Amino acid sequence: MAALCKVVAGLRTGTCVFPKRAIDICKSLFSTDSGETSEGKAVEETQKPAADKVKSGFAAAYEQHTDLQQRQNQTGTTVRLGSTRNEKSFASLLRNSPLMQMGPAKDKMVIGKIFHIIKDDLYIDFGAKFHCVCKRPTVDGEKYQRGSRVRLRLEDLELTSRFLGANTDTTLLEADAFLLGLIESKDGKTKE
Amino acid sequence: MAAGVLTKGLCGFRQPRIVAAGYSCSGPLYATATAVKTLPLQTDSTAVTDEIQNLPLETPDFFRLSELFSLKDLFDARVHLGHKKGCRHRLMEPYLFGSRLGQDIIDLDQTMAHLQSALNFTAHIAYRGGIILFVSRRRQFSHVVESTAGDCGEYAHTRYWQGGLLTNAPIQYGPGVRLPDLIVFLSTLNNVFQQHVGVRDAAKMNIPTVGVVDSNCNPSLVTYPVPGNDDTPAAMELYCRLFKMTINRAKDKRRQMELLQGLSPAGLIHGSS
Repeated sequence: MAALCKVVAGLRTGTCVFPKRAIDICKSLFSTDSGETSEGKAVEETQKPAADKVKSGFAAAYEQHTDLQQRQNQTGTTVRLGSTRNEKSFASLLRNSPLMQMGPAKDKMVIGKIFHIIKDDLYIDFGAKFHCVCKRPTVDGEKYQRGSRVRLRLEDLELTSRFLGANTDTTLLEADAFLLGLIESKDGKTKE
Repeated sequence: MAAGVLTKGLCGFRQPRIVAAGYSCSGPLYATATAVKTLPLQTDSTAVTDEIQNLPLETPDFFRLSELFSLKDLFDARVHLGHKKGCRHRLMEPYLFGSRLGQDIIDLDQTMAHLQSALNFTAHIAYRGGIILFVSRRRQFSHVVESTAGDCGEYAHTRYWQGGLLTNAPIQYGPGVRLPDLIVFLSTLNNVFQQHVGVRDAAKMNIPTVGVVDSNCNPSLVTYPVPGNDDTPAAMELYCRLFKMTINRAKDKRRQMELLQGLSPAGLIHGSS
């Protein structure tokens, strides 16, 4: 209980209170949050595209990292490996992580990568705790190979349910997502 | 050694006739220099071995394991992600940072401290030539765990755990079987989400355990619990890499110490040290 109260006080997000207005709340969150450093705010704003919240777990974190590096190089401060590592506390790392910024997982667009294929089942990792398993679509079926990047619409980060007579939830150790299509890496223009 | 025991016996019984020149019965236990000269190699080597063994105990982080990992590494490997709130084990609540939209988040500051002490303990065990057994019943990571164990010269058990493996070992595997000195659980649950039998059996057999405990695990019987994610491949590969580097570092250090002292590296191949 104390841990729950702690996170509500610590994170101070509006998103968990109003889940349906995630995008608007997120934008207001960036501008009004006083606990953030200026670097964090600027990075978050550049990270978010306009309307469609396309995010990828690793890619977003990588962009944030390179932006921070460039900013530090520009200001001319000497960056020692130890100081860059220890700079951020866990709480600030968590606050700026894409998972927290995303809010509720329902109907969020993410980019995933296929890491395993068994016949028609595609095992896709999108940066959360679990992977999701989707059926190979009939359109462009052969293009879905190991290492392909795909677009997903998330339903749930972990499929769990409490059955009658059980003490704890039963978990499937899988996330749930709907496969939208491939990302055309050659042109980079249209996303199918 | 025999001379030392004889001295002890002489002092105990106080037989003045047998007291030779140079024997002093002042200390009840240790032989004098004269007695030492009769068996120089044995006492010298045991003294040196003791010194080698006790040297790492003087510094808190003798193997400098804190430079192997950082908070950012743990964070990028998604170690802080736990299961949903409904799967939470009551005893894991102290290790949780909080819960975000129903998903538990593990406190990485605590994980850093626990991981540091777990790796330090593993390193000391490896330094002293102990047998380390990696256990995980997650089929997805079975190959990673087995190859990690092979890479650092230790053992792994990622298959069905027979009931009497630890508790009935002399009968199942023959008399004089040496049990592991440390068991590292990369996942403390079995395939039906119950606690792995090895956790309880290791506690019964006084074998210390290091275990990665997720938010649905019971950390109470694990000697050195490491609260962290055990479901993501990135996190598991991180743990395996860290344990492998720790054990290799400790073994290399031991070899180096023995070479410096001029001893043959006998005690390293799981010797009775």
